[in-house]
Amino acid sequence: MSNVALKNSPNDARSAFAKTLDALSNPLLAILLAFVLGAVIIAITSGNISTVPVAYIGLIEGAFFKTRGLSESLVATIPYVLASLAVALGFKAGLFNIGVEGQFYIGSLTAAAVGAAFHDLPALIHLPLVLIAAALGGAVWGAIPGILKAKTGAHEVINTIMMNYIAYRLTEFLVSNVLRDKASSAVQTIRISPNAELWNMATVPARLTDPLNAIFIALLLAITTFFFARWLVLRTRVAARFQTAAQKRAFTTALTFMVALAAFFFLPLLTQTVWPWTDPYDRLHIGLFLAPAAAVSVAWLLNKTTIGFELRTVGANPSAAQYAGINIGKNIVLAMALSGALAGLAGAIEVLGVSICRCLPLFFSAGYGFDSIAIALLARADAIGILPSSFLFGALRNGADLMELRSGVSKHVISLIQALVLLFVAAPAIVRYLTRQKTKADAVADVPLTRGWGR
Amino acid sequence: MTFALQAHGITKKFPGVLANDQVNFDLARGEIHGLLGENGAGKTTLMNILYGLYQPDAGEILLDSHATQITSPHDAIQQGIGMVHQHFMLVPPLTVIENIILGQESLRGATKFLGRLAVLDRARAAARIRELSHQYGLEVDPDARVQDLPVGAQQRVEIVKALYRDAKILILDEPTAVLTPQEADDLFKIMRGMIEQGRSLIFITHKLREMFAVTDRVSVMRGGKMVGTTTPQHATSEMLAEMMVGRKVILQIEKSPAHPNATVLQVENLQVEDERHAQMVDDVSFFVRAGEILGIAGVQGNGQRELVEALTGLRPVGAGKIFVLAHDVTHKKPRQVIEYGVAHVPEDRHKHGLVLTFPVADNLVLCTYYQSPFARGIEIDAAQVAREASKLVGEFDIRTPSTRTNVGSLSGGNQQKVIVARELDRPVKLLIVNQPTRGLDVGSIEFIHRRIVEARDRGTAVLLVSAELDEILSLADRIAVMYKGRLLETLDAKIATREQLGLLMAGVKEGAHV
Ligand SMILES: Nc1ncnc2c1ncn2[C@@H]1O[C@H](COP(=O)(O)OP(=O)(O)OP(=O)(O)O)[C@@H](O)[C@H]1O
Ligand SMILES: [Mg+2]
Repeated sequence: MSNVALKNSPNDARSAFAKTLDALSNPLLAILLAFVLGAVIIAITSGNISTVPVAYIGLIEGAFFKTRGLSESLVATIPYVLASLAVALGFKAGLFNIGVEGQFYIGSLTAAAVGAAFHDLPALIHLPLVLIAAALGGAVWGAIPGILKAKTGAHEVINTIMMNYIAYRLTEFLVSNVLRDKASSAVQTIRISPNAELWNMATVPARLTDPLNAIFIALLLAITTFFFARWLVLRTRVAARFQTAAQKRAFTTALTFMVALAAFFFLPLLTQTVWPWTDPYDRLHIGLFLAPAAAVSVAWLLNKTTIGFELRTVGANPSAAQYAGINIGKNIVLAMALSGALAGLAGAIEVLGVSICRCLPLFFSAGYGFDSIAIALLARADAIGILPSSFLFGALRNGADLMELRSGVSKHVISLIQALVLLFVAAPAIVRYLTRQKTKADAVADVPLTRGWGR
Repeated sequence: MTFALQAHGITKKFPGVLANDQVNFDLARGEIHGLLGENGAGKTTLMNILYGLYQPDAGEILLDSHATQITSPHDAIQQGIGMVHQHFMLVPPLTVIENIILGQESLRGATKFLGRLAVLDRARAAARIRELSHQYGLEVDPDARVQDLPVGAQQRVEIVKALYRDAKILILDEPTAVLTPQEADDLFKIMRGMIEQGRSLIFITHKLREMFAVTDRVSVMRGGKMVGTTTPQHATSEMLAEMMVGRKVILQIEKSPAHPNATVLQVENLQVEDERHAQMVDDVSFFVRAGEILGIAGVQGNGQRELVEALTGLRPVGAGKIFVLAHDVTHKKPRQVIEYGVAHVPEDRHKHGLVLTFPVADNLVLCTYYQSPFARGIEIDAAQVAREASKLVGEFDIRTPSTRTNVGSLSGGNQQKVIVARELDRPVKLLIVNQPTRGLDVGSIEFIHRRIVEARDRGTAVLLVSAELDEILSLADRIAVMYKGRLLETLDAKIATREQLGLLMAGVKEGAHV
């Protein structure tokens, strides 16, 4: 038994760290390589090596340092996060949801319709209502290919692509007819109620003077605190300080109430005295908090719940799932619906928080849905890893303009760099070869992201 | 002795495991060298190193007394080394020809200009495959799809694949685990044929009988180290078993007479089809009572798999009825069958039994993850899962660096132990075990057998399906023989003889063909 080192070894923590490093090293290398290759391409196409620094400095400045640069990068990051969570969740269940773009459209459409349908609902009700409606819209759109797969075995890639086209044309039709704002010369939907908006950061202090809004934020903070406190007392070292379950409950409840009360009474005042966002042209909105919350929720769902266990089992080995008594069809539909819901939320954000007209214009092309596939792959379908990956893509998307302006290098080079990142991520062997890492053939094979065609 | 292959001081570390520790191993030209060792001893790892799949951390390899490096399986093939893996490495949707020529495609009309962009020369490949299969008596249909072949045939494909690449040294990693004794004997003939052709073989098995039947020398590994080499003439089963496990092993299990109780499983006129609508289970009726073990003997592929899958809800029932404790489970889903108190050790561990990319712990709760105490509401209690996992890992001696290690990186036998531990640990009414000890070392077999008998003595009804006559004879209280989808006869284990069962398994019933 000499080779059987330590069961449940104390080394676990260290090896978990090593694992994380391992998992990170490849995406980071991929990004680095993509930029190096991007530089070569810029140098060749412009015929001048000195364009490279000009272009990259422009890119970095545009993404982070110019006025509102960072904000705009974050504005792009937020829908990216939700859309790539949608893709990643599909991957985990062995499904390739290429229909995120279509589900995004349906989410936008639903948000625009429900957002404009009421005028005097308080934000406390209207905003959650719009978000739920958009998620439901996306869920239905995603569930259809899911049901088709579960019932007939029809491959989701084909059906989600077809659903995309239906979504595009449906959106066009509704925007230019039923939902059209007749008063406007542009073809777009009616402006949504201000209470359905995802609050612009700069408007937060003003909004909070309304007690109903203050209650809304207090409630949101309370919910967050509740889960945070629960996590503290159940999963961390803090747990040891409590003897009984009742004590833990008391602590959680007390903390939740304290935060809620404090938020209600002091946050309005506080935001009026100190608030970092004062620029009225800054488009950053409170979706900034929604995105990480969604990522944490998806990570929790996938890794800590029976629902996630079933989804992942179906994704990793459907025969074993069947053996274990897991209903494969149900889980395929569920995965597609959840994925669609996340994509729908991403679409809602675009209408509720970003679009200048606070409406859905006819010519609205986001492309978020397709970029999100790349982001999910870059993050290896890891919900938390999606946050930095999305930020990278958001920053690139945003920095591209200044890069073009400064150096004359077409901003499409950015798409090229994104494609290279994806290529290197999808083909770790290339990265290893190029960087002469020792081959790790004996490392256990990676989780296949999807099982390809057929079942 | 001239050596075809020598390995000196091979060391290989995996995270948390020293899989090979200064291993010396040599293979004489023209010999069959048996390799023996308990589960996780490092046999497969050593072979994977010789085949270029892994690079050793230390040590050197000599081929024909020249030091060499084997950098990849491709390189190994170039240097004349072939390997048939413990878990086959075939591409199921491809045909036999395609699988065999994969990576060695012979081309027609290949020009310098187009390089390897040319037409596959299937005809030439097929001819050569036919010639090889004829020469060695390895029957394979070159045009069949691998996914449609039974395991025995898949194995022949693997062997032909190695011969097609003209392997001078052939490594066979537990080739007999999935074979019937008859098929194994055929394989031994083929192996001897290969020796006559001047090839050298390394042969891994857990069955001591086979070591005596076919090898020229036997080496034994334990805990990553080579403990010794001997010849079959100088060894006994007991000696080898003790060498590999490090203690005395009881090869024959003691068990008290059964005290059967109420009927737990009742099967009436069951009919089941396979994927291609062939009638695999044909009008089968039997029962199993609490506190007894019913053994179903039979050559693999006579409908045992379909029978077990129908009983556990994995396969639709054509006609007939299945009752578990008076519940009609004929058309029930697997989850419902499980919840009536049925545990199932499936035949194919990689297909049904395990999720290879999940940690050991998650695999140990694969059927109970949603129940208390592992889940509260929808939330999984990771601490409880970990506790259960540590308990089972200790109790069943599963050799793994940690309970968070992916099950796919365990040795084959330890993967099997994960399944057996999971299914034997639950309090169940009916235990269905299909080839429960496939790929296990003698020590583990002894242990698992004891657990199965213990379950019986606690009042569990046990249905044991096995192609191993020894296993059936030493465990079962009653023995049924399955042949071509039918149950031929049910015998009392006390009076059943090996010869009688052997005849029944071949379909011979009281002198007449059925
Ligand atoms: N790819 C891998 N990654 C990590 N650990 C591994 C890997 N392959 C093998 N191991 C570990 O190395 C040890 C030796 O495994 P190996 O497969 O060589 O055993 P074996 O002697 O073939 O056993 P069995 O009879 O069960 O097939 C085991 O503890 C196993 O967990
Ligand atoms: Mg092995």
